[in-house]
Amino acid sequence: MSFLEINRLHKRYGAVEVLKDINISLEEGGFLVLVGPSGCGKSTLLSTIAGLETITEGEIRIAGRRVNELHPSKRDIAMVFQSYALYPTMTVAQNIAFGMESRGVPKPEREEAVARVSEMLQINHLLGRKPSQLSGGQRQRVAMGRALVRDPQVFLFDEPLSNLDAKLRVDMRTEIKRLHQRVGTTIVYVTHDQIEAMTLATRIAVLRDGVLQQVGTPAEIYNDPVNVFVADFMGSPAMNLVPARINGGADMPMITLGRDAEDALSLPASGCEWLKAHDGREVLFGIRPEALTDAEGADRTADHVVEGECTVDVVEPAGSDTFVVTRLGGREVIARMRSDAVVSVGQRMPFAFNMDKAVFFDPQSEQRLS
Amino acid sequence: MAVSTVDTAVRTGRLMRALIYALLIFFAVYYLLPLFVMLVNSVKPLDEIREGNMLALPREFTIQPWLTAWSSAQVGVQATGLAPYFINSILIVVPAVFISTVLGALNGYVLTKWQFRGANLIFGLMLMACFIPFQIVLIPMAQILGDLGIAGTRYGLILVHVVYGLGFTTLFFRNYYAAFPTELVKAAQIDGAGFFRIFRRILLPSSGPIVVVTVIWQFTNVWNDFLFGVSFADFSSMPMTVALNNLVSSSTGVREYNVHFAGAVLAALPTLVVYIVSGRYFVRGLMAGAVKG
Ligand SMILES: Nc1ncnc2c1ncn2[C@@H]1O[C@H](COP(=O)(O)OP(=O)(O)OP(=O)(O)O)[C@@H](O)[C@H]1O
Ligand SMILES: [Mg+2]
Repeated sequence: MSFLEINRLHKRYGAVEVLKDINISLEEGGFLVLVGPSGCGKSTLLSTIAGLETITEGEIRIAGRRVNELHPSKRDIAMVFQSYALYPTMTVAQNIAFGMESRGVPKPEREEAVARVSEMLQINHLLGRKPSQLSGGQRQRVAMGRALVRDPQVFLFDEPLSNLDAKLRVDMRTEIKRLHQRVGTTIVYVTHDQIEAMTLATRIAVLRDGVLQQVGTPAEIYNDPVNVFVADFMGSPAMNLVPARINGGADMPMITLGRDAEDALSLPASGCEWLKAHDGREVLFGIRPEALTDAEGADRTADHVVEGECTVDVVEPAGSDTFVVTRLGGREVIARMRSDAVVSVGQRMPFAFNMDKAVFFDPQSEQRLS
Repeated sequence: MAVSTVDTAVRTGRLMRALIYALLIFFAVYYLLPLFVMLVNSVKPLDEIREGNMLALPREFTIQPWLTAWSSAQVGVQATGLAPYFINSILIVVPAVFISTVLGALNGYVLTKWQFRGANLIFGLMLMACFIPFQIVLIPMAQILGDLGIAGTRYGLILVHVVYGLGFTTLFFRNYYAAFPTELVKAAQIDGAGFFRIFRRILLPSSGPIVVVTVIWQFTNVWNDFLFGVSFADFSSMPMTVALNNLVSSSTGVREYNVHFAGAVLAALPTLVVYIVSGRYFVRGLMAGAVKG
């Protein structure tokens, strides 16, 4: 049985429905990341789990217990806010101990717990300071300390790293991951940074306009997106999505990609024979930049790699790789080539398409075809 | 701040600066003159005042008028001086200010952090209390005080001032707390703190500036009130302002102007002290509200 269960959850503010029929379950010790564009309802969903917002319909269960009617302090959760929400007039030590103080924990025990947590997060030397005297990263640690000291069943994080600069964000990301491995507590984490989502999560839930698009492991979300939105949202640079036409052929269906000036590019849909069922139809052909390479850089473990001649439009060396842009189906398509691949603008060269990783969508419904 | 002042000072010409200073000094003198007249004449013997030069410094310095005003002047029918009424005012002002400030803070807290259906309507109605002229409420208020059995007592006056001040104190605190991050309240809720603990431990410690503003505002208004005092107080509960009026208007025989001046300064003293002590915070509090709210 799963540890955190969200069943048929709806949330309305007056007439506006901001969460529509959300169903998620998470195993004990799991790390669930909620991602989605701004305003899609991530924070609202997190707040309903915390009990800071009531829900209109549905049920939330933590460790088998229905918590809908429970006050936030009774749900055995701890939350880290985007703004950290440190109490400005209290010292770091008082901030960390405030929850225990409210619950009437005796002073010696409180001090011991504060010492333990501050040791773990290496903030012992800051205990006497006020939040205004801390740097962003230190505040972030204190906020985590305040959550850790409760030793809750579930940690809730609402974009905890979004106020930090890029370098610190990467450091803290690693630290959160390490923390999770160490304490093993179940975590629900909100972010709109898809790299954060990929690196931290054991499960990712993608939201859009209050509707859950897909829940799955990072690999599932990345490799098997259920629709165009998920495919486009996860990954950077984003997946190439090219309008194409399927031509049945005898036994190998062909994928035809229109081109502006030149003749259309035809690729055999090797490994995707099921596409025969869609003979003559328009589809969206999705391929990630790393599955589209120079011929020598193609994945040798892949079963189906096909090559097609394309004209190089733009070359963007990025150190470890070189991104090469060509035009297919009226769109820019990015290929990720080895940094020492010899490429020049205007050149016609073979591009290797790893068809194991190709996905196809219905252009009208934007749902995955399979 | 300091840097920019220096900068502009350098740019403005010498003449301009002299002009600005002259103007500032002129207005400072203009505003200080009444206080000067009151102070100077309160330490002169009566004969000196009769000579007619109100601006002259005393030739003979005496504090007798102050002593008379404080403890032996004729106020109404009795020669008690202003002392008992000064005490009355203190006994009215302190609880009235305290209660209205605490209630205003609680109202502001509820109206911003524990929003309920109709909260804005209730706030609007409370705001209207700020605009009702005093005169309109006199008769119904007298009725209520009578019904409660506290007509003519200090408790009656305290109640009137609390009720009347609530609109303003609520307004002040509501606007201040509206800018207070709600996430802190949420965090405290998760930490298991209840309604009053959140108020006492999280909001109140950050409320210094607005408390100062509210206290000064309420103190000044309640201390300076005359209309409610004259309408609802009897001889035993009369506040300072009413007593001062009686002192000035009831003297039989010679009019002791020096005593009147001393009495007037005594009546103004507490508000003056409050301003001097906390005026800095007052301005700061208003600014904080202006920037955030
Ligand atoms: N109290 C409220 N009343 C009405 N609508 C609200 C309220 N709170 C949030 N919403 C709406 O609910 C939707 C979801 O908001 P939410 O804060 O959950 O978004 P989010 O996914 O966290 O976005 P972001 O990434 O910008 O933080 C938004 O469209 C927002 O306007
Ligand atoms: Mg949010």
